[in-house]
Order: sequence, then C-alpha cells, then structure tokens
Amino acid sequence: MDHPVVHEVSARDGFLPIKTNAFDRGFIGVVFGIFLHLLWMRFLEQAIPLWVCTILTVLLGIYIVKRG
Amino acid sequence: MRSPVTGWLFLAPTILVLTVFGFVPFIYVAFVGFFDWNPFAANPDLVFAGVNNYRRLVFDNQFLRSIGLTLQFTFWVVLSQLIIGYLLAQLFMRDFPLKGLFRTIHTLPLLVAPIAVGAAWRLLCVPGLGPLPYYLNRWFGIDFRLGSFEHQAFITTVVMDIWHWTPLVTLTLLAGLSAMPKEPFESAQVDGANRWQIFWHIMLPLLKPVLITTTFIRLMDALRTVDEVWMLTGGGPGTATRYIGLHIWRVVFPQTDYGYGAAMSLMTLYLTIMLCWFLYVGLVARKPRAS
Repeated sequence: MDHPVVHEVSARDGFLPIKTNAFDRGFIGVVFGIFLHLLWMRFLEQAIPLWVCTILTVLLGIYIVKRG
Repeated sequence: MRSPVTGWLFLAPTILVLTVFGFVPFIYVAFVGFFDWNPFAANPDLVFAGVNNYRRLVFDNQFLRSIGLTLQFTFWVVLSQLIIGYLLAQLFMRDFPLKGLFRTIHTLPLLVAPIAVGAAWRLLCVPGLGPLPYYLNRWFGIDFRLGSFEHQAFITTVVMDIWHWTPLVTLTLLAGLSAMPKEPFESAQVDGANRWQIFWHIMLPLLKPVLITTTFIRLMDALRTVDEVWMLTGGGPGTATRYIGLHIWRVVFPQTDYGYGAAMSLMTLYLTIMLCWFLYVGLVARKPRAS
C-alpha cells in the first residue's frame, strides 16, 4: 500500500492578508515581535521599560496565532 | 513503493548540509549577539549583555545610514536589472546576425568572481589611467573622481552591479519567455489587443513566477553585497558606499567586536526576511479582495 509522503498542511483565512498555517502565524508573530522591540528600544524605552513590550508582543503573538 | 522512510532518506543529505552549514551557524550567531565578545581584548571571555547590542544598534547612526544606503542600492540595482534584463531577453527572442556570439559575450560577466569585477572596475575608474574618467571628461565634460565625489561612487557601484548581474536576470527571463505558450498571444492579436494590452494582461501575468523568483534572488544578493564594492571604493569616499555588509566587516574584523557584529548580521537577516515577506505577500500570496 502506498503511503502519502507529503501531508497537507491546513491553511486558513484570518485577518492577515494571506492564507496561513500555524507555523506561518507563529513566524509572523516573532517577526512583528522583533520589530516592536526594536521600535520600543529606540523611542519608548526611556519612558516605559522593555518588559512591557515583551508582554504586549506575547499577547500580539497569541492573537496572531489564534486569529491570523 | 513510496514510504515516509524513503522520503526522509532522500531528504537526509539536504537536511544534514542545511543543519551543519545553515542552522548551526545561525544559532551560534544568534547566541553571540547576546554577548560582549572581543577575543583580543584584556578580557577575551564572552560577557552576557542581554539585548544591549540591539539597544546600541538602534541608536547607531552609522549602522542606520548603512541600512539606508543598502536599501537605496538594492532598489536601483534590482529595478534596473529587471528592466534591462527583460529588454535583453526580448531581444534574444528575436533573430539577428551573430546572436549566439552576442549572447555568449553578454553572459561572460557572470563567470567572473565578484572580487575580480571590483578590481577590474577600479582599474577602469583610476583617474589618469582608466578609460572611464578620460572619456567621461572628453565626451561630457564630467570630472569623474571616484575617491572625491560621493554620488559618483554610489552610481558607479550601482552600474557595476548592474553590469555584473543583469545577464543572470536576462537568462532567467529568457527561459521564462521561451517556455510561454503562443496561443494566448495569438488569441489576443485576433481580438484586436494592442501591444501594451498584450504586455500588461498576458505577458506580465505569464512571466510573473519567473519575475518574482528572479527578484527574490537579486534582492537577497544585493542586500549582502560586499566584495565588489570593497574592491572598488572600500566603502568610501567617507561612508558614501559603506553598505551593510561592508559596515559589518569593518566592525567585526578590524575592531574585533564580535558580539555587536553578530547582532548587526542578525538584523541584516531580519531585514532581508521582512523585505522578502512583504514582497511575497504583495506579489504572490495576497488573498483576492472580497467584492
């Protein structure tokens, strides 16, 4: 009996502009998280500590993975 | 019989090579990016610095200027190569005398190592010796001095890269054009479409996969240009052509600031991923608009 070598990865529609699977959404979350951290360090860190950004990034990452 | 084991066995060499030469160095660079490390300093040990290297990076005007210069360089280089490469590919689709010879000569720059290209262009540009300053002055009255004028140095690096890599774009687009079916073009001509309509509605959509692949390849290459520019201008005059690869080289090797160099390398990779992702979303994977 033949076994399928390639498994279908389930892609879905969310608020992101492309169809994504879970790995895509995780990756996009990390990429945006890094971007936010860099912006925060440049413009906001003197007023608000960086761990606030980390918490926001984690929340944003969860939102992207769940709804993206 | 196909089985998952057979599939993994076929994939194993690639996975092994990617792991050893891609993944492990990436992890190592990511690791070093969180440390202060100067092996030739009084304290040659790795000292944990957290995100300090990245904090330093976002305030480093020289680094940010290098990023800006690299983006400008990449934009002009990729755009010019796509346009010239497409026109040359269209030319090679037609028959003309000595076409084979011209195509061979046109492909020769691809065979030359980047460092040799930089050296050759440097010789071309030496004032008093190279033909470029002589003829630019004689024909157009331009005082061409690569070591003195920033815009001349920038434009020369762009032209050099275009000269070196346009043949690659031409060859890939030529392959795309050769593989195109004739029927849609004939149907469009029968329906009375003009040349612009044929180009915009038939040629470009059919050529899109090849165009996108070529753009990705050239974009990633242009973002990490080092050796050609290093030989031609050394990053000068001043910092006019210090693209990101050259800037990282200057920080990592002469200054032996490995931790900060690793952080900058990772940022360059991040920039490349971001650009490619936006390009991918914009050109390939965008969802159709709901009507």
